[in-house]
Amino acid sequence: MSSNPNVTLNKVYKRYGDVEVVKGIDLAIEKKEFIVLVGPSGCGKSTTLRMIAGLEGISDGEVGVAGRVVNNVAPKDRDVAMVFQNYALYPHLNVYDNISFGLKLRKANKEEVEASVKEASSILGLDQYLERRPADLSGGQRQRVAMGRAIVRKPEVFLFDEPLSNLDAKLRTQMRAEIKRLHKRLGVTTVYVTHDQVEAMTLADRIVIMRDGKIEQIGSPMEVFTKPVNTFVASFMGSPPMNLIKGVMVQEEAGFFIKLKDNKVPVPAREGCTFTEGQKVYLGIRPEDMYLSSNGLNNFERISCHVDLVEPLGAEALLHIKLDGQDAVVKTDSRNTSIDEMSESSEIFLNLDYLHIFDGVTENSIY
Amino acid sequence: MNKLDTNKQGASSSMSPFAALLGRIKADWQVYVLLAPMVIWFIVFLYVPMGGLQIAFKDFSLFRGISGSSWVGFEHFYTLFEDENFLRAIQNTFVISFYGLIFGFPIPIMLALMFNEIHHFVFKRVAQTIAYLPHFISVVIVAGLVISFLSPTTGIVNLALDALGFDKIYFLTNPEYFRAIFIGSNIWKEAGFDSIVYLAAIASVNPSLYESAKVDGATRFQMMYKITLPTILPTILIMLIIKIGNMVEVGFEYIILLYQPSTFETADVISTYIYRVGLQGSQYDVATAAGLFNAVVAFVMVYAANWLSRKYSSSSLW
Repeated sequence: MSSNPNVTLNKVYKRYGDVEVVKGIDLAIEKKEFIVLVGPSGCGKSTTLRMIAGLEGISDGEVGVAGRVVNNVAPKDRDVAMVFQNYALYPHLNVYDNISFGLKLRKANKEEVEASVKEASSILGLDQYLERRPADLSGGQRQRVAMGRAIVRKPEVFLFDEPLSNLDAKLRTQMRAEIKRLHKRLGVTTVYVTHDQVEAMTLADRIVIMRDGKIEQIGSPMEVFTKPVNTFVASFMGSPPMNLIKGVMVQEEAGFFIKLKDNKVPVPAREGCTFTEGQKVYLGIRPEDMYLSSNGLNNFERISCHVDLVEPLGAEALLHIKLDGQDAVVKTDSRNTSIDEMSESSEIFLNLDYLHIFDGVTENSIY
Repeated sequence: MNKLDTNKQGASSSMSPFAALLGRIKADWQVYVLLAPMVIWFIVFLYVPMGGLQIAFKDFSLFRGISGSSWVGFEHFYTLFEDENFLRAIQNTFVISFYGLIFGFPIPIMLALMFNEIHHFVFKRVAQTIAYLPHFISVVIVAGLVISFLSPTTGIVNLALDALGFDKIYFLTNPEYFRAIFIGSNIWKEAGFDSIVYLAAIASVNPSLYESAKVDGATRFQMMYKITLPTILPTILIMLIIKIGNMVEVGFEYIILLYQPSTFETADVISTYIYRVGLQGSQYDVATAAGLFNAVVAFVMVYAANWLSRKYSSSSLW
């Protein structure tokens, strides 16, 4: 990372009376970086975004934009543009006037306004809708207008507050790609809030996973997916989430094993990982790393199970299984195996190359 | 619920309209019971009396009754339009209403916008309560207050004028002050309460519009006239249509309480004229003709205002 981040949060707190909703966040966002704040409802991600925008006061700490502390700077002077969840389009203005609203407030001259709106509308494919009012537009078009309003400002930072959550699944996928394209084209630092981990994975350069007002992990999408720091991150990222099976560490001659009720899973030795005999742990394994056969696997363990339910998804299927009395999900290719065959499976194979272990008490990753 | 309604409509489409209505009444009788008092009130007090409008075209006598009185065509209307007092009453009605509209209509909107800008909860509630309270005072008391305040001997205004070395003013006997006193005290009485409807409209404005404008760089004043006002414009237009429709019905009781023969020149309006001619002068037929004229003018005005509003904005009463 460079030493000159574009947006910084230093020990930032937000309190409403006695309730602390953001608890000392530290974050440095690089220029042109696409950062996604993700987490469950009430985790403080939107509040954090609003503090960057200046729509919420900062109880403690410092927020910086483009190298200056903006704690006491009005939102309009922070050089940020925000896209809201419900688009926040002015119903009495047409698309042109909505997009040019911010420029007109800043007393930009007519030619500049016209050129900026034209540029934004051609980027977003809104040319033929400029005379329409928001009520006459579809959800996707409204979202584009909201983005257009942010683009024309040419800000230092774009802030997106769950911008796709009001769209249907198909449109969401389409708009997600458009946002990504837009970021590539404009190269503006972007902070994006969502509770949808798929959006986070597909859009982000780095993902910030939040819980209860704190940052749980910051990393690239693959980092947070492959190396979750705790059970919360492990179960939040990925769809379906990682299976977490309770077990106890036992040491034998061959090394450490995770002892489940009826099964035992060997833990391949790894440098720097230490366990204690009898340590309570969670065995973490992604549904994609559990198989119905051992074909093609080098390092695996067979475990007996009972299939409760099969959910066919087309090319893949989700198997809800009971594994040592605990619930787990297996994601498997369904094109070569019939649903009946899947239902009758009594064993699965864990790919030990992708095994995770979390401490049973602290829930932090230990392997 | 939608499904249910669709089924009901589907079932009723094959019946006669009357049978369908009966079916609906039977199905939703509770709703119709709730509606009944208002419908009965309209029938008894507004529709049945319409039958009596025919006396505007008759030489009506209480002893001969409506059916026994002879038809006289438009004679009473000719009488009215030859009467200077009636023409003066028409003029006064429109002048008072027009000034009332010009000065009185924007004030509740401004009040609502101002209340909306107050962020101190207690101050806001106190200010609103103070503004709403006069509405609940009877016009008789308001008239009493106005008379007391403006009294040439004990009124606070004249005492203040006196103390400042000015001559005392006989406000309520001087026709040139009547309209200002009437309109001013009416605004004081009703502006606060009338602001409630605009406050409700303001409350429905999406808060993220303001946040978005804030990020875009709008000042509070810009937010007020670029977001709040245009967003509540449909409500403003509907209220304007209603006010225009009521223009010819200036506060009859309040004028009766405040005016005196010396101020008739500016204070006598159509409704007070009808009261004097009809009830005090027992010319029921002429008074009814005046009332009918009043109603026709009101109808034309509200219809025209609604048409204009529908043509130039998307808001209309019907």
